[in-house]
Amino acid sequence: MQSQSHVRPNTYVALRLPSGLLKLVELTPNTNINLGKYGAFAANQILGRPYYLTYELVDKEDGKEDGKAGAGLRAGAGLRVVPASELHAEALGDDHATPAETREEDAPLAEGALSFDIVGDDGEVIMRNNRLTVDDPSRQKLSYEEIEELKKAGAGSGKDIIAKIVASHMAIEEKTSFSLAKYTLRKSRKYLKRFTVLPLDIGTLTEYVTEKEAYKIMELREETLGLICSWADGHYSADNRVLMAEDGLSQIGGGRWLVVDDTGGLVTAALAEKMGILYPNEEAEQLSEEEPAAPPEDSSAAKTSEQNGTADIVMAEADGPNFAPRSESTLQQESAASSGEPIYRPKRPFQHVPQMSAQTNTITILHPNNQPNLSHLKYFGYDTGNPPTTHPLYTHLKMVSWLQLMHPTEDPSYIEPKVVPEETLATLKSSKRGTYYKKRRRWEKTKRVVDEARRGGFDGLIVASSMEPKSVLKEAVPLVRGGGRVVVFSPSAEPLVELCDCYSKERRAAYIAREFRAQPNGTTNGTRVKVEEDGPSGIPIKREDDDDDDEEVNELDDGITDDDFPVNPTLLLAPSLQTARARHWQVLPQRTHPFMTSKGGAEGYLFTATRVLPVEGKVEARGHGRGKKRKTGPETSVPS
Amino acid sequence: MAPACSPFLDPGSHSAADSLGVLQLKRDHLIPAILSASASADYAEGKVENTRFGSFPHSTLINQPWGTQILASVVDTGSRSAKSRKRKREGNGDSEATPGADAEEVRREIVKAATASSGFAHLVPPTPETWTLCLPHRTQVVYTPDYSYILQRLRVRPGDHIIEAGAGSGSFTHAAVRSIYSGEASADNNGESAGAKTKKGKQRRGQVYSFEYHAPRAEQLKSEIVSHGLDPHVTITHRDVYEDGFCLEDEDEPNADVVFLDLPAPWQALKHLTRSPPSAAVVKSLVSDPSTPDGEVTASPSDPPPATKPFRSPLNPSSAIRICTFSPCIEQVTKTVSALRSFGWLEIGMAEIQAKRIEVRRERIGLQEEGLRGANPSAATVQEAVQRLRDVEDRAKVFHGLQKEKQEQVMRRAEAKKRGEKPPAPAEDEANGKGSAKTKAKLEGLPPSKHDRLERAKKELENRTLFKEGRLVHRTEPEIKTHTSYLVFAVLPREWSKRDEEKARKKWG
Repeated sequence: MQSQSHVRPNTYVALRLPSGLLKLVELTPNTNINLGKYGAFAANQILGRPYYLTYELVDKEDGKEDGKAGAGLRAGAGLRVVPASELHAEALGDDHATPAETREEDAPLAEGALSFDIVGDDGEVIMRNNRLTVDDPSRQKLSYEEIEELKKAGAGSGKDIIAKIVASHMAIEEKTSFSLAKYTLRKSRKYLKRFTVLPLDIGTLTEYVTEKEAYKIMELREETLGLICSWADGHYSADNRVLMAEDGLSQIGGGRWLVVDDTGGLVTAALAEKMGILYPNEEAEQLSEEEPAAPPEDSSAAKTSEQNGTADIVMAEADGPNFAPRSESTLQQESAASSGEPIYRPKRPFQHVPQMSAQTNTITILHPNNQPNLSHLKYFGYDTGNPPTTHPLYTHLKMVSWLQLMHPTEDPSYIEPKVVPEETLATLKSSKRGTYYKKRRRWEKTKRVVDEARRGGFDGLIVASSMEPKSVLKEAVPLVRGGGRVVVFSPSAEPLVELCDCYSKERRAAYIAREFRAQPNGTTNGTRVKVEEDGPSGIPIKREDDDDDDEEVNELDDGITDDDFPVNPTLLLAPSLQTARARHWQVLPQRTHPFMTSKGGAEGYLFTATRVLPVEGKVEARGHGRGKKRKTGPETSVPS
Repeated sequence: MAPACSPFLDPGSHSAADSLGVLQLKRDHLIPAILSASASADYAEGKVENTRFGSFPHSTLINQPWGTQILASVVDTGSRSAKSRKRKREGNGDSEATPGADAEEVRREIVKAATASSGFAHLVPPTPETWTLCLPHRTQVVYTPDYSYILQRLRVRPGDHIIEAGAGSGSFTHAAVRSIYSGEASADNNGESAGAKTKKGKQRRGQVYSFEYHAPRAEQLKSEIVSHGLDPHVTITHRDVYEDGFCLEDEDEPNADVVFLDLPAPWQALKHLTRSPPSAAVVKSLVSDPSTPDGEVTASPSDPPPATKPFRSPLNPSSAIRICTFSPCIEQVTKTVSALRSFGWLEIGMAEIQAKRIEVRRERIGLQEEGLRGANPSAATVQEAVQRLRDVEDRAKVFHGLQKEKQEQVMRRAEAKKRGEKPPAPAEDEANGKGSAKTKAKLEGLPPSKHDRLERAKKELENRTLFKEGRLVHRTEPEIKTHTSYLVFAVLPREWSKRDEEKARKKWG
């Protein structure tokens, strides 16, 4: 959480304007930030300061000293921090400025005298009612032109404008204190020159996108995001054990999540936040902040000390920081190191770790295009087009396309480039050699990531996609380890209702019965485990095979076809559907109630289930029904 | 003995002895069990979980891949008692073991459990979600929709320090540990305390500081946390936080970034959650506030804590503190919010979570469902209704015709009797036989009777594929939690002094 201690340069922050809207800005030092009608200020005036402060734009004339202090920054106004007490006093209205208000005493009186003004002991009118209120816009004596004139005169923070407007309201005395507070608040939103600096995190980003283009994040709300990450069991797991399955190749668990994300990376970001890999490491950042030229120097020093060979040094210079020099042996060392200690140690020489190489605490994105759309990650300092090597996502975020997952050999980047012998390589021009290594490394990366994904064993699966959930789950659920969590989000209920139906108890029973009938000898293996030899890799990859030889099974049943089982219903336990919505309230003394309006739109539903490993052979259920001797059909299960 | 790594944080690939596993029987029926490999006095198979769906000896649960479907075993559940401990009473005949009085002997002789003919459950790794569903209730539980929103909105991240007051049943504790967990302590610095670690330039390690007023509950939670292997990440303190605040012995603790108060009167705890000693005026104004209950008056005499010992803030000085209070009543909210305001908290907001679960089922409607379970046997369409009415009318017509014939026959016979003629019995019989054949023929073409229809429906059921028939519908589950609690959120920014501002100005201008 240290990264929230103060506003850092070259990061995004959210500014909440008096209108309540958010504005995202990247804080480049020595630039100005324009807030439209509210004014402009210099970025340096909020850099290094804490978050959650509310500033008031003070007029240049007023803040001469401020101008002197920020020499060289002519444009923009001075800033004044608005203390909390002032903010609260304004929100509460004049009557409620003190915390020790005497409202409680007045309450019974108010009940007894509903249509009368509430008069205090000294005869002063404490609370008026709205019996005499006249609804007439002409009661405001200031004309539009006059107000514009006031604004042009640059009368300070806007407070005096509001004061003038309120004062020139003819019937201000007739207003009840509540309506006066509301009136002032409304005017404040319009004329006050203030903003609050908020850290740009998942909550603020969600609020921002929801306001502007909610469809881009599938109308996800903060409460839904929280629910998704909770049910997916997302958490920091860099120290988790690296455990292999019996085949010695497939990793089981280790804190790896599989994500299908059509929300521009918001779901990925939320999960990454929970896993502690979303925000650039503070130490790394400080390093770059204080000595921006350091990393390249450090890296070359590291390379010589690590004896990586001269070719690699040449390489690194040719490629820039994106590609790490390494040989097969160092790769293993490095990945072992990264699993144990994924956090950079600034004192150690800068260590090059290949992209997507972490073994634990990783997110694997399954994407439908050549490149995943993770545009929202840019707000957290991670540009997928040009990923910064210091960002934790550089090693912990892996990307696999559906083609690579389903048919890797059809993807050109999966095919091994020709190996050029050392001697020939030595004769090549350095640029050509560079391209050669670059190609090799890209292939190694793709192959490593694709093979790992295909071997499965993921701790959880999160789907927030416009793709048909059934088709996604058919392929992705087998890749989840036993006991792993499966979470599918959909803005509307129907796709998930259908999905629930695919995993219904009745369908499961029918599926098992059918598999059992197909193998009358009892040695069920409904889902055939096919071992494919995969191209040049030579790695047998276990995948459930449903496409090829199901036709024969077809004939065994009457009226039941493979189309009835778009997914294997025995692989998920306790599928459930839920939704949650936060209802927001206004909390002002004597005026506590839910907000009068809020966003409608998609309700947002969540399908959750647990991946299980069904037992082989016939299993009889017990204890169903309500104690009655109702025979339930034989429950058989199949191996996965 | 606590397991090496917590099954909550790193479950591994298989279940392990002395570690928590969860046996899932139904969606909301889960049994937590610390899997034990040692023998028990009660059963020859060692420790056994007995359920409605069969008995599951721990020996069948240990070292299984997580998520495995476990078959029930045959366990003699009837004859265990202190007396029968020595005598062997084995349900399945294949065991020769005689659990002796000697415990060590017992350990060696755990009977291999025999698989029962029916019953199964699934063994799943524990998570805060499964734990929330099966934990022993001591107080009101903070459920998943609430705690997931709270942790999300409080922006809790790995490495944070979180204060939780009113630990209660521990559901929030478990969820909080998952959020703040940032690695095991023992990895590189052995022997150092959690507090000392933060001093170094090393990554700050996450920690939950849990406070509980009720001593037995605090003890129970402590033992739970230890048995779940989470004790390195949770500090449980038995304390009245209204009186004594949140500071611990070590001056680096709790150093909190996040605060969650599940207390009956959160406003009374807020005076301890400040960055500098609260001004007497503020405290007094809160105390003298007539809106606070009488209970506060008794708490007020302890107001000058600075006199006794120097003020120490439990909050992390370099981060913005985020707080959430969890109160079921709106009056609590009002008081909390007013206290938050006087202590300078910002971004105050309140929300309540309305969560519901949806049930999905197939609704079968139609005449073909007559007499079947779980379906509505009324007509599905107008056509069906019309057809049914026609059928009924047709049957009625024939029936009435037959009735009339019968009556006429009776009349004829009576008339004949009256006339003194002796009815030719055999002929009559013949005629009767003919008549019944005729009625049969008449009934043949008729729509089936209700009895026939039921028979037919039953017979057809065997070949029907119910799992895909009917209309797919969804609706809210019958029981919903319409209100859990109001969640008040607020933020306390860093303290920002003139000197800090000077420094920042020097650096950035």
